[in-house]
Amino acid sequence: MEPSRRDRDVGVGLRANGSDSPPAAPLLELVGVRAAYGGIEVLHGVDLAVPQGAVVALLGANGAGKSTTVKVAAGLLPPTAGRVHVAGHDVTGASSHDLARIGVCTIPEGHGVFPNLTVRENLWMATQVSGRLDVLEDAAYARFPLLGPRRHQLAGSLSGGEQQMLALSRALVTDPAVLVLDELSMGLAPIVVQQLYEIVAQVAQEGISILVVEQFARAVLGIADRAAIMVNGVVAHAGTPAELQSELSSAYLGSDNE
Amino acid sequence: MSERIARLEREAANLKVSTSAKRDGILQAVGAVAMVAGVVIAFVAYQLSLDKSDDRDIQSLVILAVSMLGLSVTGAAVFLRYSLARFLRFWLLRQLYEGQAHLDRLVGALGQPNSSDEHEVAEPEASR
Repeated sequence: MEPSRRDRDVGVGLRANGSDSPPAAPLLELVGVRAAYGGIEVLHGVDLAVPQGAVVALLGANGAGKSTTVKVAAGLLPPTAGRVHVAGHDVTGASSHDLARIGVCTIPEGHGVFPNLTVRENLWMATQVSGRLDVLEDAAYARFPLLGPRRHQLAGSLSGGEQQMLALSRALVTDPAVLVLDELSMGLAPIVVQQLYEIVAQVAQEGISILVVEQFARAVLGIADRAAIMVNGVVAHAGTPAELQSELSSAYLGSDNE
Repeated sequence: MSERIARLEREAANLKVSTSAKRDGILQAVGAVAMVAGVVIAFVAYQLSLDKSDDRDIQSLVILAVSMLGLSVTGAAVFLRYSLARFLRFWLLRQLYEGQAHLDRLVGALGQPNSSDEHEVAEPEASR
């Protein structure tokens, strides 16, 4: 852990708790990441950091490169340039299952569940990482009581919100250190989104660092410690949610000086 | 949570970044090429052997054709191994789960005292 990297401001890499103690290395950090689909470069040098115990919101309009950033962070897409660090260690090029095993857990956009498996079977998938199914089930149903009565129901037949709860519960029972959430609100009613983000806030209070990628800023800014706005494949603005209020409209709608 | 962070740091430090995905892709391509090239060369060698009158030439070409068929079979095996590996892993996982679920059902049924009692009571009545 080189001091120079720890001390560098990488967009949103400041400590969330504002203490005077020396900042620890961010748990997840992207440094100058470039990524491409075939010959088309989508990320043009993304700098992003998720400090310990912080909730970082990554915002931006459709096509800004948010989900691609998640793919790079989750090991699903190797960067063409730049580095990915976990807890100060270079893990660039690590596979998604390696990152998941050490504790960087990603919930992809569009309900990350196995639709043709039951709720119980979906949770059973997590036993590959941690523990016995009955223990994991107890933990999951304690946090999400709605899932208990539906344990033998196919995940694909659950409502959108319940599927996201299942995806969250499956992620949480693996004891993640960093949680990456991609478009949690996709296709869900506002009231369900609000409930989900209340759960995310509870999870954050337990000390899990969270990177939330979200198109609808209002939903996530209430729980975020830091936020970054992506525009055309780069982090254009970064700061606290209050600091970014004025930048949001220009990022989404464009402005005169852009 | 600090214990969890310490574990993450330890595991991230020990993480050996694998290039197996790239290697799997290369081996899959090599397998496909060997599979196709083996068949093509075997066919060409066999066709060439038909025009030869010297037994030694014919034998050489037939040996080459058979060797190429062997290469083709090996290539097919390599291609299948590296193209289906992920699917087969999931299939194996499913088999394990179903096996465990079946075992749980059996153990659950054997562990229910009521069902065996009912069976013992019902049997003499049925025999009357």
